[in-house]
Amino acid sequence: MSFERAKDHVLRRARERGVDAEVLATSTRELRLAASGGRVDEIGHANRGGVGVRVVADGRVGYASSEALDDASLDWMLDEAVENAALQPPRGAELPVGGPLGRSDLIGEGLSAAVEAKGAAVVALEGAIVADPRVDALFMARYAETETEAVLGSTRGVDGGYRNGYAMLMASPVMKQGDSVKQGWDVDVVKEFHQLDPTRTSQEILERVGRHLGATPLATGRYDTVFEPDVTAILLQLLLYSLSGKSVAEGKSRLAGRLGDRVASELITLVDDPTLPEGLASRPFDAEGTPARRTPLIEGGVLRSFLHNSDTARRTGQANTGHAQRSYASTLGVGPSNLVLEAGAGASLDDGVIVTDLMGVHAGANPITGDVSLQGLGLRVEGGATRPVENFALSFNLFELLERVNAVGDTLEWRPGGGGGMVAAPTLRVDALSFAGA
Amino acid sequence: MLNTATAESVLSAARRGGADFAELYVERWRRRTLRTIDGEVEEAVSAIEQGAGLRLFFGTDVVYAYTNDLADAALDELTQTLVRLRGTGGGVDAGGGGGLDLRRRTAAGVHAPRVAFEAQPRAWRLERLRELDAGARVDASVRQVEGRLLEWEQDVTVANSEGAWVDDRRVRTRCVAVVIASDGEQTQTGHFGPGLSLGLELFERHAPATIGEQAARQALVNLRARPAPAGTMPVVLGNGFGGVIFHEALGHLVETTSVARRASVLTDKLGEQIASPQVTYVDDGTTPHGWGSSEFDDEGMATERTVLIDRGVLTSYMVDRWGALKTGYARTGSGRRENYTYAPTSRMRNTFILPGDAEEPADLFAGIDLGLYAKSLGGGQVRPGSGEYNFAVKEGYMIRGGQVAEPVRGAMLVGKGPETIRLVDAVARDLATEPGMCGSMSGSIPTEVGQPHVRVSRIVVGGEA
Repeated sequence: MSFERAKDHVLRRARERGVDAEVLATSTRELRLAASGGRVDEIGHANRGGVGVRVVADGRVGYASSEALDDASLDWMLDEAVENAALQPPRGAELPVGGPLGRSDLIGEGLSAAVEAKGAAVVALEGAIVADPRVDALFMARYAETETEAVLGSTRGVDGGYRNGYAMLMASPVMKQGDSVKQGWDVDVVKEFHQLDPTRTSQEILERVGRHLGATPLATGRYDTVFEPDVTAILLQLLLYSLSGKSVAEGKSRLAGRLGDRVASELITLVDDPTLPEGLASRPFDAEGTPARRTPLIEGGVLRSFLHNSDTARRTGQANTGHAQRSYASTLGVGPSNLVLEAGAGASLDDGVIVTDLMGVHAGANPITGDVSLQGLGLRVEGGATRPVENFALSFNLFELLERVNAVGDTLEWRPGGGGGMVAAPTLRVDALSFAGA
Repeated sequence: MLNTATAESVLSAARRGGADFAELYVERWRRRTLRTIDGEVEEAVSAIEQGAGLRLFFGTDVVYAYTNDLADAALDELTQTLVRLRGTGGGVDAGGGGGLDLRRRTAAGVHAPRVAFEAQPRAWRLERLRELDAGARVDASVRQVEGRLLEWEQDVTVANSEGAWVDDRRVRTRCVAVVIASDGEQTQTGHFGPGLSLGLELFERHAPATIGEQAARQALVNLRARPAPAGTMPVVLGNGFGGVIFHEALGHLVETTSVARRASVLTDKLGEQIASPQVTYVDDGTTPHGWGSSEFDDEGMATERTVLIDRGVLTSYMVDRWGALKTGYARTGSGRRENYTYAPTSRMRNTFILPGDAEEPADLFAGIDLGLYAKSLGGGQVRPGSGEYNFAVKEGYMIRGGQVAEPVRGAMLVGKGPETIRLVDAVARDLATEPGMCGSMSGSIPTEVGQPHVRVSRIVVGGEA
């Protein structure tokens, strides 16, 4: 494998020069197929990878990367990283000491089906969706697969590699009934191609979008509320900002200094677990070679840990949790793997609002303060009947909301999370939440 | 980067698989980014990017794939995947090995740098950014100075099934200063960032201290500025980056990317008077050392100077290969892309309004009782279909009694590009251009915007909320 050779070459040269270096090589292969009119009409086939080096000398850090793997390019990369490091003021940085991590294959033959079969899957998805008379237009019907491979080594002993991947079907139809028009989307993410079922996915998408047709404005007021897993996943991504060791180190986390405190309802247990066999973002080690382990972040409502890499751990005086994240071309960051909000006993609703979607998270939510004011879409449950509602805004503080959760759903749904991670989320119930509507 | 046999093999295999046209694009970048805050290094990274993109046409249907594994086997696999998925069985050129007669053209070095990419130690670069920092410290209210030095070297090869083979090298250098000034109540920013197709000799044309000082002056003007009034009034747009309005709200409307989809209000308007007779609007890929210049475009065609609007009459669109197929207009060397991960589309290069009749910029202010001088513009939004725009004025002044008066901040220009260009009633002679990054379907690419001072008889000005 040329990545292994590239890694060995750079580490040998680094040792010759007497600098500490860490080499991370990653490659991503993507296939994207879109269908319209009963045939595959868009094909995207992408293969992108490269080698990144982090050099540490005299407490200074320097980075450089290369997508070319010939010796001259690799030597240029190392020279540049050493020069880049020399420009920095000393920051007391160190490369973590590590050991052999082995080579793991977490996906095997999961994506090895013929490309024609994948094309047929997306054509079937498209066909099943446009067959519904309520579908007015189909913005996108797509199959996508991603396979990643990582190789990591350092002059301080780290040596490992792994391969992972997933496949997904997604679509975004515009549905119409009378004057009511709704656009929505859904995605089904699995580890192996054969687990995909275009019929099931199309039914789910049609149900998820179609149930909002004929929505009427929601009256302003306080309602008992259930957040669907999609919405819970949005809230968790917002919470991640405050759980990141980087935010703590930079003084931007509202949860800093609260380890051991009750920060959420005792029904809330949030764990990041890169070791889950079924986890779509599982990995045997992080981007610095820290072996993966399950990290409870919040247990029974009590804050147990932040997400740290070696650098944020050192700067905050806390333990490294193995959440270093970077690609070959980026600098060191922090990120989750499989973020799981553990399932509870169930969250039902007799009278209230089921919130199915929140829009405008980038503008309407402040991750630092936790203040959220967002437009929502939902279902009003009343007297044993359910009807769709729209044109309402929810305003709440994320941290207060988490303390008020009084029931957690009993099943988890996987969603793509921020920064390459995945989120497993249940429904959440919060009573007497304030809604601004008609 | 690419050998002839590999190119022939890929292009012929694509043709055998039924493609009407095949194009292989291979590139290699070296990039350096150095960023300082208050003279200390915040970021220093270097990168080599290298990859290939394969584009196949089946009629006007386009498929695109890319890889940065440049081994023959990887490129062959890429070709086979595209052909199999497209599902058309051979037919075109099925018998031959392609019969390609690749004719090689190499860039003559019109925009070549004088200072090599490897010249100067890294510390020399840091010294320049520290000069920028020192130059920006013109007043006690300057609180933070950010300096950025970007160096790009891009080698490109394009080969296609029509037998074209082109090698081009593009070297670009840009230095940006962002200054934050505060008087304890207000905090304002200033920005200046010259860039050209050159090496480090950029600093001979723009001394680092001057770059810092220009950004600081803008921040200080904004600090003493008062909130802008709202209303409809005559507006004089500054030379240089003032041209960004016409880039966004006019230039994008004459790219075949939108025209071929009939998604532009300027579709089918060739030969019509669409602008004031004062306006001649040019997109020029050949300007020596221009930020958006190159000898060839990313489809392997020699760039050219395209007159888009001649004294108000629409004379040409910007046309790429796909656009030419869809519309029948001749290609203009306008096919561009950010890198190998994007298929090319029709894009701007260096786009500007030519000098007009007004002797002096001062002549443009004369006769305006009350108006706005938008000396420099910042970010904006445009709806490509209609050309509706809103732009923030980064540095603005009131015009009172024919003279530039007090500075104002928070002004917003609101209008429609195709209307605004009709309302241009005077153009000065002080053409200047400035670099920018333009984002669209084929990624973010370097382009110059420019114009002399331009007077528009009325624009809706939104004041500070």
